[in-house]
This record gives sequence, structure tokens and C-alpha cells, in this order.
Amino acid sequence: MSTERWIDIPDEVREILKLWRPTPLFRAHRLEEHLKTPAKIYYKYEGVSPAGSHKPNTAVAQAYYNMKEGIERIATETGAGQWGSALSMATNFFDLQCRVYMVRASFDQKPYRKSIMQVWGAECVASPSELTNAGRAILKEHPNTGGSLGIAISEAVEDAATHDNTNYALGSVLNHVLLHQTVEGLELKKQLDMVEEYPDVIYGCVGGGSNFPGMCFPFVPDKLKDKKEIRMVACEPAACPTLTKGLYAYDFGDTARLTPLLKMYTLGHDFIPPSIHAGGLRYHGDAPLLCNLVHDGVIEAQSFHQNEVFKAAVTFARTEGILPAPEASHALKPAIDDAVACKKTGEEKTIVISLSGHGHFDLSSYDAYFAGNLEDYEYPAELVKQSLAKIPKF
Amino acid sequence: MRSLKKVGFLINPVAGMGGAVGLKGTDGLAEEARRRGARPVAPRRAETALKELLGLDALFFTASGEMGEAALRRCGLEYQVVFQASEESGAEDTKEACRSFLDKGVALIIFCGGDGTARDVSRVIGSKIPIIGIPAGVKMHSGVFAISPQAAGELIREYLEGDLNARETEIVDVDEEKYRSGILDTKIYGIAATPYKPVLVQERKQIYASRDEDDFKLQIAIFASEFMRDGSAYILGAGTTTAKIAEVLGVEKTLLGVDVVKDGRVICLDASERDLLRILEEVGKAKIIISPIGAQGFVLGRGSQQISPKVLRKAGPENLIIVATPHKLKETPRLLVDTGDFDLDETISGRRQVICGYRIAQLKDVVASSNF
Repeated sequence: MSTERWIDIPDEVREILKLWRPTPLFRAHRLEEHLKTPAKIYYKYEGVSPAGSHKPNTAVAQAYYNMKEGIERIATETGAGQWGSALSMATNFFDLQCRVYMVRASFDQKPYRKSIMQVWGAECVASPSELTNAGRAILKEHPNTGGSLGIAISEAVEDAATHDNTNYALGSVLNHVLLHQTVEGLELKKQLDMVEEYPDVIYGCVGGGSNFPGMCFPFVPDKLKDKKEIRMVACEPAACPTLTKGLYAYDFGDTARLTPLLKMYTLGHDFIPPSIHAGGLRYHGDAPLLCNLVHDGVIEAQSFHQNEVFKAAVTFARTEGILPAPEASHALKPAIDDAVACKKTGEEKTIVISLSGHGHFDLSSYDAYFAGNLEDYEYPAELVKQSLAKIPKF
Repeated sequence: MRSLKKVGFLINPVAGMGGAVGLKGTDGLAEEARRRGARPVAPRRAETALKELLGLDALFFTASGEMGEAALRRCGLEYQVVFQASEESGAEDTKEACRSFLDKGVALIIFCGGDGTARDVSRVIGSKIPIIGIPAGVKMHSGVFAISPQAAGELIREYLEGDLNARETEIVDVDEEKYRSGILDTKIYGIAATPYKPVLVQERKQIYASRDEDDFKLQIAIFASEFMRDGSAYILGAGTTTAKIAEVLGVEKTLLGVDVVKDGRVICLDASERDLLRILEEVGKAKIIISPIGAQGFVLGRGSQQISPKVLRKAGPENLIIVATPHKLKETPRLLVDTGDFDLDETISGRRQVICGYRIAQLKDVVASSNF
């Protein structure tokens, strides 16, 4: 926590970030042409990091500060595998040990994530695992479960709590993570300045909420203080619609209720989202800072089904070349819709997409999409509301 | 040592004959069908399935002649005749043959026929041992039928090789007498166990096999038990998924009937249409929970016909809650409605939420079968 408005990035962290930062801001000329839109579409691409996503922005900082505190080992969880890979790389740079609890569904879907973590010297285990009480308890009740981020968090927290030399690290949700990610938005601002542009709208995907706030938060003061007209749209899956359908309340960050209570939009810490292909967006809650801004109407939220998201991803890959991660593609869907709508209005809107990662480990998901095997899951919000109505409040 | 699998096998030689000659079923009408020039179809379809089983370590117990023996002999499979079929074999022969199979301790019963044959088999076997139908009838609404004779062969092979599990499904049949005069009256006649291929939740082969179907039924039931606390009366349709809901609620349920639950208590067991209308009158508001039955994905118009257009209109189509396991949804690309009230079918049609897990739904197309 800090009361300072600005916190400098330590030199040792900068040295590493320099390996791939600043990340490029592209103008999506070919996509614009394909859509025949008067809108100007930009995307800031975090997939150029060695781990393939925005996650190293905070992983490097967290590994650095742990090293400074004399911590020898870090335990963490990972959903889609992006965070686990990023932290494995970061701990490797600072000579720390690392164990990653990876949600079983993703672990099976993307076996090469485990390999990449091993290359960077970390240990990756499928969660729920037999290594923790939390994991064993879940396995006893649901031996074939695909796991969830909530369960994996419980395991990693327990691991850290039961090893003296070990700290827990979280790749999303918490304030310090969002702080580390603001490097994205700060760069974006400068890059847009260079071409004398300012976004009318920024689209970004939200799982736990770190990449999207990282991109947007530097623009929030413009909107609040300088009354700039900018829309910031958080994009989430219809199967796990935390911001659009969740309850704004205090809830636990994990399934086993080990974390402090967080004030956030939540679908309930006991909710295990369906195994959609955007594994990184399967989280029951969201960053409290982001939730606060959504609650106050500063940031908007929208949800999308996976088939329409993959359709947008394919359009993007066929025009811009980059194969986007299913998570990141949640931002492509509304951005493309928006650009198409501009055809009617003739508006030369500046649309910015936060493209958080590449989809090179998600090709089996693309296969499933092409084979017509993706189900459109939905959260039965009305019935859930009905079932919560009679539950005693505390 | 060879571990021989013991399997019961029978054919209803006249199954399916009525179809081609416009009889909408062959129950009690084999003679008429023959007179109209129908030829047997079941033996050929049975053989198509049996050919998939060559080389399997299995011993078939069967009935004499065209009721099984002949097809097994033609396919070169190892068999023993344990039942002498009468010359004009009928429902009684099917049942007797099944009793003989039970005496032999078979692990699976394969039958070739339609819904009528499925009913006869299920009446003797219940869900004691798995049964599987090679489709050859005029009507095949029951969930025990494979989609084709080849698919039946594959399922049987994989089941006997130990790769598959069995699950419960409904035996459904139409009253042929009424059907011929234009009235569709379908009933659930029983629950049978049948082998099934576990549906892979997302991508075939690459991904983990889904959690067991029972696990999803339980998830659905727990969710239902939560939202059913809202004080409304709930009309529960027939089937194993709604039965699971009753089990979780700790209330009685007729497996094949429609029951009404309110505030965790049963207020009507095995309700008729009239009971339902009376209850709706009394309680004012009720919701209906139904699950697709059989193999075709009918949510309305087959099975629980007590939930009539009148009942549906009175409860309000918006109060219809459809529940189904992901496995079942995977098998039915769309859900069908056929209440007999075309406008109502149209109202219910469209993309609808189907509850398929704990606080999880899928969007599924519901189609009026008359439009299909």
C-alpha cells in the first residue's frame, strides 16, 4: 500500500522489462479495411513478452521484491498458464524457487505450459493436487473435477502458509498487481500522443482484472478530473459474468476461504465456472479497484459467448496475422462490432484494444471451435438470484 | 484363460415392418404389414451391428431361428440357443427370452427392434443389467437405441471391452392405436440402464473425459434445490434428472409421473392434467421443471403429457425451466417441443437457457417439431 501517486519502477526490474518493453502499439489497417470501417482501430500487443502475455509486468516486480525480502521460494496458482509461465521466468531471473498450481482443465488442455515452466526452472502441478489439504478435500468429493482458479489459489496459499521460506504470489486482482500493470497504459498514452491520438474507447478482457485496469487506469484521471469523454469497456465471458451479473459484496477470493474478504463483484466463492476455453477468465470475482469503478459507472462491462469470441479471433488472425489468445479475443468481439457500427454513423472513432496475449498454446481450442464443439454457456442469473434471496445474510 | 463375456441377444423379426407400408408401428399388425407387402428389416440391421463384434471374446445366448440364432450363425459368432421361439414370435417371446438371459447371468442384453421391443425387454430387465437397442423399429424414442446399427456395434464392443459405463435412460413409447388415428400419446414406460460413450466436455480426445453424468445430475439438483426455496409450487416432469432433484430435496417422486413440490414438501404425487390445473388455481403461481426425455430431445409433447398446453399457458411459458446434463445436450443438437398447440410451441421456441450444472446453463435451440 502506498499513498504516493507515483512509484518508480526499480532499476533491476526495468532491466528485465527492457527485454520486451515497450510493447508495440499497432494500427489495425488490414482489419479496418476488411471491415470497411471509418473507425481507427489500434491494438497494444502484450503477446510479445517471453511468456506470451501481460503477466510478466507484475511477475518480475513481485519476484524482485520477494528476493529483496530474503524469500527463497514462491507458490502460486495459474488458470490458463500465462501467470504461471510469467512467474516461472521471473523467479528464474532472481534465483528463486517456484511451484505453480495449475487448474486441471488447463493443465490437460495445454500440456506445453508445464514444459515452458520447467524450462524456466519451476515446478508445475495440476490442481486440485494431493499436495495440500485443500486439494485433497476437493479430490475426495469430486475426483474428476477440472478444478478452478479458486481451488488453485487455496492450494498455493496453503503451500506458502506451511513453508517458512515461501511466499504466495498472486497474478491478478490485488492492488499491487494493478499498479505493476499500469506500465501498459502509461506506454499507451505516450504512444498515442506520438501519433496525436486519444482513445474514444478502450476494450480489454477481464478475468481477475489486471491487464485491463493496467491499460485503463492511467486514463481514469482524464475522465474524472479533466472530464474527457472516454469509454472503458471490461469484456468478460457470459459463462462467468462477474461484472455484468455478479453481486457487489464482500466475498472470499478463493474457494477454501483462506483469503481476506474483498469488496468486489462476485458470483460466489463456491462457484466453479464451466470449462470454457478462455481458462484465464474463469474467476468468480474481480479486482476490488476495478469493481469500484464499474460500480461507480466510470468503467462499463459487457459479456460475450465463446463462439462469437472465437469468430472475432479468427477474423483478427486472418487480417492482422496475430493469433490472439481466447481470453484477449473477448476484447476483439465488441471492438469489431463497434467498428462495424461506425460504418452506419460514419464516425471516425478511435478504438483501442488491449490485446493481452497470443494464442499459440490455445490451438486445441481453435480446433474445437472449427469442429463446432464449443458450447455457449450462460450464467442463469435470475435463478441464482432466486436461490440467494432466501439465504441468511451475515 | 479366456474371459468370455456373456451376452443376451434377440431380434424382434417383425420390428419396423409397419413403417414402410404406412402402419406407424407393427404392434399386433405383423400379419397386416406382410399382407401389404412389407419385408423383414430387423435381421439385416442386426447383422450389420453383429459384424462389428467379430473377434470379440463373447458368448451369445439367444432365441431360436429368426429371433436371434439365424443372424448369429450367418455372422459366424459363437452362441447358445437358450429359448425356443414360437413360430410367430411376439411380445411374450421377447420377455421369456430375457428371463432365460437373466438365468444365464449375462452382462448385457442386445435387442434389435423398436420402442415396443424396448418396452418388453425393459419390463423384465428393469435397470438390473444394461440393455442396448439396435434400431430397427418404426418408432425409436427411447434412450437405449444407438443412432445406427454400426454405432450399436461399436458401443457394444467398447462396453464389453470395459471402456464404457452404463447410465439410466427412459423407455418411451407411443400408443400406436391412437397414433394411427392422429393422436400422439407418448408415455414413459420405464427406466433402463444403457452403455454410453462419455461425452468429452470440450474437445474430443485431447481433453479430459467429462465428469460422470451422475455428477452433473447432482449439480443440477443442488442448484434446483436452492432456487426452489422461493415459495413457488414446482411441477416436476418425469425422468431421472428431475428424480435427482427430488432426491436432493429429500422428497418422494414418481419416476415416470409428474409431481408437484412446494416449500420442500410434495403437494401432489403422480398428478394428472386436472390435478395440475387445480393446483395452479389454488397456488396462483407455479414453475415447471422438465428434462428432455428419450433420445430425440423432446422437452414437451413426449412423456410428461400431463403438462398440457392448458397447464403451460396457465403457468406461463416463461416459468418453464429446462434441465439436462451436458451429456444429453451433446447428443441432441436441438431440443424439440410438440405440445399440440402450435402457437404455444412457437412461444416456447427459440434460444433458451438449459440448466446443465451448478449455476451453469447452456444456450440451446428449442424448435417446434412441426417446423422441423
